[in-house]
Amino acid sequence: MAAPLLEIDDLRVGIRSNAAAEILRGVSLTIERGETLAVVGESGCGKSLTSLSVMGLLPDGLEKRGGTIRFEGAILPITDNEAMRRIRGRRIGMVFQEPMAALNPVFTIGDQVAEVILEHEAVSRADAMARVVDLLARVGLPDPAQIAREHPHRLSGGQRQRVVIAMALACRPDLLIADEPTTALDVTVQAQIMRLLQELQRDLGIAILLITHNLGLVAQVADRVAVMYAGRKVEEAATAGLFAAPQHPYTRGLLAATPRPGRRRAGEPPLTEIPGVVPSVTELLSGCRFRPRCAFAGDVCASVDPAFGGRVACHFPQTVELVPGVVT
Amino acid sequence: MAATARRIPMRFIGKRLLHAVVTIFGIAIINFFLLQLAPGDAADALAGESGTADPEYLANLRREFGLDRPLLEQLASFLMRIARLDLGYSFRYNEDIAHLIFHRLPATLLLMVTSVVLALGIGILFGVTAARYFNRLPDRLISLVALLLYATPPFWIGLMMILVFSVQLGWTPTGGMRDIAASSKGFAGVLDVARHLALPALTQAFFYLAIYTRLLRAGMLEVLNLEYIRVARAKGISERRISYVHALRNAVLPLVTVVGTNVGGFLGGAVLTETVFSWPGIGRLMFDAMFQRDLNLLLSILVLSSIFVVLANLVVDLLYAVINPTVELR
Ligand SMILES: Nc1ncnc2c1ncn2[C@@H]1O[C@H](COP(=O)(O)OP(=O)(O)OP(=O)(O)O)[C@@H](O)[C@H]1O
Ligand SMILES: [Mg+2]
Repeated sequence: MAAPLLEIDDLRVGIRSNAAAEILRGVSLTIERGETLAVVGESGCGKSLTSLSVMGLLPDGLEKRGGTIRFEGAILPITDNEAMRRIRGRRIGMVFQEPMAALNPVFTIGDQVAEVILEHEAVSRADAMARVVDLLARVGLPDPAQIAREHPHRLSGGQRQRVVIAMALACRPDLLIADEPTTALDVTVQAQIMRLLQELQRDLGIAILLITHNLGLVAQVADRVAVMYAGRKVEEAATAGLFAAPQHPYTRGLLAATPRPGRRRAGEPPLTEIPGVVPSVTELLSGCRFRPRCAFAGDVCASVDPAFGGRVACHFPQTVELVPGVVT
Repeated sequence: MAATARRIPMRFIGKRLLHAVVTIFGIAIINFFLLQLAPGDAADALAGESGTADPEYLANLRREFGLDRPLLEQLASFLMRIARLDLGYSFRYNEDIAHLIFHRLPATLLLMVTSVVLALGIGILFGVTAARYFNRLPDRLISLVALLLYATPPFWIGLMMILVFSVQLGWTPTGGMRDIAASSKGFAGVLDVARHLALPALTQAFFYLAIYTRLLRAGMLEVLNLEYIRVARAKGISERRISYVHALRNAVLPLVTVVGTNVGGFLGGAVLTETVFSWPGIGRLMFDAMFQRDLNLLLSILVLSSIFVVLANLVVDLLYAVINPTVELR
């Protein structure tokens, strides 16, 4: 069997100045070619850091403590900046959360998109520019030749995110990491951007690692879902299975806290939130890090941190279907 | 990546030039009255030098220079002369002031351009390097050098350099702009001027360098943390290109303003340097005019200086709009 496109194995990331503080505590994820993996979890659980680790772009104060990241079977030299540069932008593209801040205000759109192509491929400036105009048209921007000449401040947030997507896809990467690509946009634009990503994925066959808070979005676009909590993956399953029968108490809490149309009609209980807060990375806590907030915790949870066993990392996985037949 | 050329904002320039004229006349009037407050006039100075205090002689001199007429009349004729670009006559140098100034101007411009270009080049290199190696050895060293240069008075740096490079090592002359003996033509002439220029230009540049380095380092540190820099990294762009193209173009904006101020205020700023190195420029002319109570000459230089400031400001605003496309000139 061919190696998966991306394989993150037991990734550990900590704070450089504090040997005890570990932010990613053994994250493992796998993405096959052409599929969409969604990563969900509360703010601060380490979703962005996981994706930045793949890109070799960890913030200065953080360090990789262990684990491997393989791309097409080869270990990513994530601490070798020069080697990583040939992968970033060319094999792996990335879209960030803040389209309003993602473009350099002093350069034209065309220059910024062409830059990726010129950096990675031996093409002339004119050829690169012609490709840029095609790309801008491909991501649904009207009058692409004109937009290529504009500076970012003339574009709306949705338009800028399309430009960022064009930039990420300019060299036809195999993997697109999208870190909350629609969070900063208004709802109608969100839907347009997601539809665009799906279309591009279908046409170009790229795999997408989609990081998001929006479970509604996950249900629509993801093939599989990984749920993260406090620097670990606590559950992973095919999307339908996860929504129908979440096994980790945290996943159940997340779903119970998510509004969805038709929820009442389907006879689901009203929205509830998960009590308590995520423990801080420096907090010493034996056993399962979700224990203080968990309604199902037993004695063993306080002493043994549950290992991930194929589907879930929990001593007491819940097997009762949340609401039978809700997931379509 | 090149900025796309934009139309020249004629309306903006016209409006600003009009402001400039009003400003320059305003400054001229203020300078005129300020100098009236200073004790003594050209007649006093001339008489003092020739050793006579004969009231008859003084009155004669004053009548000759028009110093005995009512103040407002003197002001009016002064402004009229500025408007006609007729700067009058210097009694000390026995020379037409316009001629005197334009004779001296090239030396000052040469010193200015050389020192600002030097300071900018090194300042950019230092500032960017310090920011790239934030809190590491290169940053520590550069910040220390910048602090030392900032804290040391320029004239003292100038004197020390004369001591080391001219007196001890004998590499450079101690002052002046040309060797009388040396050929003033062709390459030899250029080399001769360059040798004389080295120390005053460095002295002046060091002073600016300290400011530019600190300013650029701070700006770069701020810009390097912005989201679009992370996006550029995710595109696979090299760190060098990210620093010198993506970040610098944004971080250099505050520097443009300061360089503009330095260029505008150069005539005043160069007084000390030109005096220490007996550089035959406007700064030294101003210094001499002040001591010799050559108020006509002094006023003319001050007016020229205000023209410099106003023009530099206009250029800064235009440059700002070129560098930062979000700036709209109105
Ligand atoms: N440079 C840093 N130094 C120290 N801690 C950091 C740093 N960057 C992130 N962290 C910590 O790492 C944890 C995970 O951050 P991360 O950005 O991956 O969260 P996230 O899951 O993406 O959250 P969000 O949904 O809000 O984007 C957070 O608790 C954060 O405080
Ligand atoms: Mg995040």
